[in-house]
Amino acid sequence: MGTPNLLQGTLDLLILHGLQRGPMHGYAIAQTIHLLSDEVLTVEEGSLYPALHRLELDGAIRAKWGQSENNRKAKYYEITPKGRKALAAQEQTWARLSGAVQRVLAR
Amino acid sequence: MRRFFLKIIRHRNWRRDLEAELEFHREMASAHGNAIPLGRASRIKEESADLWRFTFVENLWRDIVYGVRGLRKNPALVFGAAVSLTLGIGANLALFSLAVELLLSQPSVRDPNSILYVRMGGNSHATHEVLEFLQASGVFADVAGENEEAFVNWNDGAQTRPIFANFVTKNYFTSLGIPVAYGRGIEPRDPDEVVVLDNRFWRKNFKRDPGVVGRAIDLEGKAYVIAGILPASHRTLQGFGYAPDVYLPRYLDDTVLAIHVRTKPGMTRAQALAAARAVAARMDAAMPEPFPYAHGVSVKPLTTLAGIASDPEGAVVGAFFLTLLAIAGLVLLIACVNVAGLLLARASARKREIAIRLSLGSGRGRLLQQLLVESLLLCALGAAGGIVLARGVTVALEKIQLPVPFPIHLHMDIDWRMAVYAALLTIAAAVASGLLPAWQATKESITPDLGRDRKMRLRRALVCGQVALSLIVLATGFLFLRNLFRANAISPGFDLRHTVRALVELPATAYKDDFKRVNLYVNQGVRELSAIPGVESSAAAFILPFNDATRFGEPLKFPDTGERRNMALYYWNAVTPDYFRAMGIPLLKGRYFLPTDEDGAKVVIVNRVFAEQYLGGREPIGCVFYRGRGQIPYRIIGVVEGTKNITMGESDQPQLYQPFPQVPNPKRTKLEFVIRSATPPLGQLEAVRSVLRRVEPDAGLEVSTLYSSIGMALLPSQVGAVLMGAIGLLGLLLASVGLYGIMAYSIARRTQEIGIRMALGATRGAISKMVLGDAARLVLTGSAIGLATALFITKPLAIFLVPGLKPSDPLGFIVVVAVLAATGFVASWGPLRRALAIDPASSLRYE
Repeated sequence: MGTPNLLQGTLDLLILHGLQRGPMHGYAIAQTIHLLSDEVLTVEEGSLYPALHRLELDGAIRAKWGQSENNRKAKYYEITPKGRKALAAQEQTWARLSGAVQRVLAR
Repeated sequence: MRRFFLKIIRHRNWRRDLEAELEFHREMASAHGNAIPLGRASRIKEESADLWRFTFVENLWRDIVYGVRGLRKNPALVFGAAVSLTLGIGANLALFSLAVELLLSQPSVRDPNSILYVRMGGNSHATHEVLEFLQASGVFADVAGENEEAFVNWNDGAQTRPIFANFVTKNYFTSLGIPVAYGRGIEPRDPDEVVVLDNRFWRKNFKRDPGVVGRAIDLEGKAYVIAGILPASHRTLQGFGYAPDVYLPRYLDDTVLAIHVRTKPGMTRAQALAAARAVAARMDAAMPEPFPYAHGVSVKPLTTLAGIASDPEGAVVGAFFLTLLAIAGLVLLIACVNVAGLLLARASARKREIAIRLSLGSGRGRLLQQLLVESLLLCALGAAGGIVLARGVTVALEKIQLPVPFPIHLHMDIDWRMAVYAALLTIAAAVASGLLPAWQATKESITPDLGRDRKMRLRRALVCGQVALSLIVLATGFLFLRNLFRANAISPGFDLRHTVRALVELPATAYKDDFKRVNLYVNQGVRELSAIPGVESSAAAFILPFNDATRFGEPLKFPDTGERRNMALYYWNAVTPDYFRAMGIPLLKGRYFLPTDEDGAKVVIVNRVFAEQYLGGREPIGCVFYRGRGQIPYRIIGVVEGTKNITMGESDQPQLYQPFPQVPNPKRTKLEFVIRSATPPLGQLEAVRSVLRRVEPDAGLEVSTLYSSIGMALLPSQVGAVLMGAIGLLGLLLASVGLYGIMAYSIARRTQEIGIRMALGATRGAISKMVLGDAARLVLTGSAIGLATALFITKPLAIFLVPGLKPSDPLGFIVVVAVLAATGFVASWGPLRRALAIDPASSLRYE
């Protein structure tokens, strides 16, 4: 069994959720999602970076260059108040959706 | 919005940033020993690239580059389109700037919106006491006055002549805030003998020497010090380019002045009116003489547009320019149809290119944008040429000395209004000329087999439309040209060709209040003028038709029956006995005035219309009436034929003449002589001048032929005819070029068909008939559409036309349709001959 495909839109939710812990660079975001999902979910760069840029243009996150833990220049993403609002809305939607799917499958 | 700014700020760096980011990601991954599958880096870049790009702007830029490259390979198309559009846009811009100057320009004063023109007691001008009362009342921030249509005698060292003066109050320049180019304006503490020169007067007479400031010039025999010189861009409060030669402090105590007030900040026009009324009421209490001021108080804004809105004469001028601009717009439309024709031809030539691009997945909207950008490029080129052309035309227009009896000086600038108008015209032209061909091109390529028929139909519709538009433009131009000839043919009611006219401005200091002396001067002048060899008769008059007019409206009362006519309106004049002979006005009944009609009973001569309208069927000769509330009997001793008074187009109006000596008007020092000569009047000007100079050396003199001095009357129809005629010709030129191009193209497309027909045995005659018949059908259809439209839209033009000429005048339409038919024939004939000359076999291989 391969890596399950992420549902459209859920990547944004996972990124924003991960960023609640504080500013992170792209690699750390991918790692966080990977680890928190018990290594079930793998985020490919091919989807991660376009998603990050889209979120940045939408104003949900902001980016700035900083020093990484190994003293390298890295781009750090940080959630904005607007992003927090979007996250709350998306979490609700997700809860409704997954609950509904659960209920369907349970019957 | 945020997104937009972010894009702008980071647009340059995003690609570098992304690469660095990906690089970091990979390093981290390998450092952690995580074999995270590396996605296709190029795809990531493409995807983010779409996010970061200004798609529209970048596509636009690419389209422009592509369009320029494509057009450079097509110099013939570019040249044809640019010439058409330059003429079309240039004509529009030139007219627009003329309209802006005449209708929208603001006077050169500080904050023109806070200045109002005030009338007290219904009078256009008031005495200085009224101004002082207003100023003292303190309701307005400032009160300034001017008598803008005055004359002053200027002795330039060689001769004395009257120049146009504006008598102003000493606070005129300071309170209105009028900028000067050199020196300064008149200031309240100045002595009476200072003068400010108009820029053009200065350029003409003082060789542009700024050093004249501080020197003195001789006005009315006194030395006036030149305080300053106005800038060339100075616009007077009167607008319409009116520009008197000099400004000097009010120099006679009874000079009446137009009142201009500056309102206090925040004061509305309604409040200003109420305040002026209140002051007028107080003024009536304080000085009851000479008339009540509280009646007919009004305030009028200065800005030309607002002024025009409240002035019926201005409305006619406005309507005229709107018509002119509309007609010019139609000319531009014709130019656009030309360009559309060219683009259609080009579209069929690049059918293959467009088909390939469509099949490669190019969106139709994208292609449409690309084609529209091309026509926008052409129109921008045309607009650039048009601006240069319009500038040339306006510079030429400014230099023209208009044949009017007062100084008019227009100056038109290219300002933001011009730029906005030019941009709007360019975009409109691009859409008008490009949309249809572009639409057609993209549509046709999808369904190539159905396209051909539809495209021919479209092109035929274009021809029809063009013919219709040209018909409207031509019909209007022709109408105005006919109006010009009609107006020239109408007799003003007096003889223009054999008469010299001399305007005399007597030195006010010596002649004012001394009517006896004026009379003596007139008698001596007439006597000596009549003695000039070749002169048949000469006379003096208060005014001459077309140069000035005095209209009276008053009740007439007839003592024989006690009948009263409440309001008799008539033009008035006072003349010496030989006036009618000198002017060539025929006497119908009774007699002329005699030198003895002086101290005795008042006598008058009326014109035919006066006798018919106001005498209630009485025998005119010997009829006696009272004027106004007066008890002085006036007896009619003669009836003459009427003359025109203000415009050539007016219908006959009642007129009344009094003998010159019976009208003691002590304030009037301006009078006219008319001299009828058996020899050509041009040769008599010098003799008249020297005689009058001898009689009164200090008088201002202006001697010209009567013909040249009534230019003003012919001006509106002349200007209108010249402008409309020029636009009509331009329209015809553009339409002929377009008609020719479209006809030639459509016949060239039928070469193969013609070849087949000839191979099958059709005669040349039959083919000519077919092709020409086809062209004739197009021209006639277009004419019919144009005719119907023109009949409808030229209706409002009637206000500009002389009586008897109607916009629906059939002759004009017949001529115009004939001209268009001839153009269509010529346009078809050349290509047809070429098609017929080809060998049928080779024409089959034509495509």
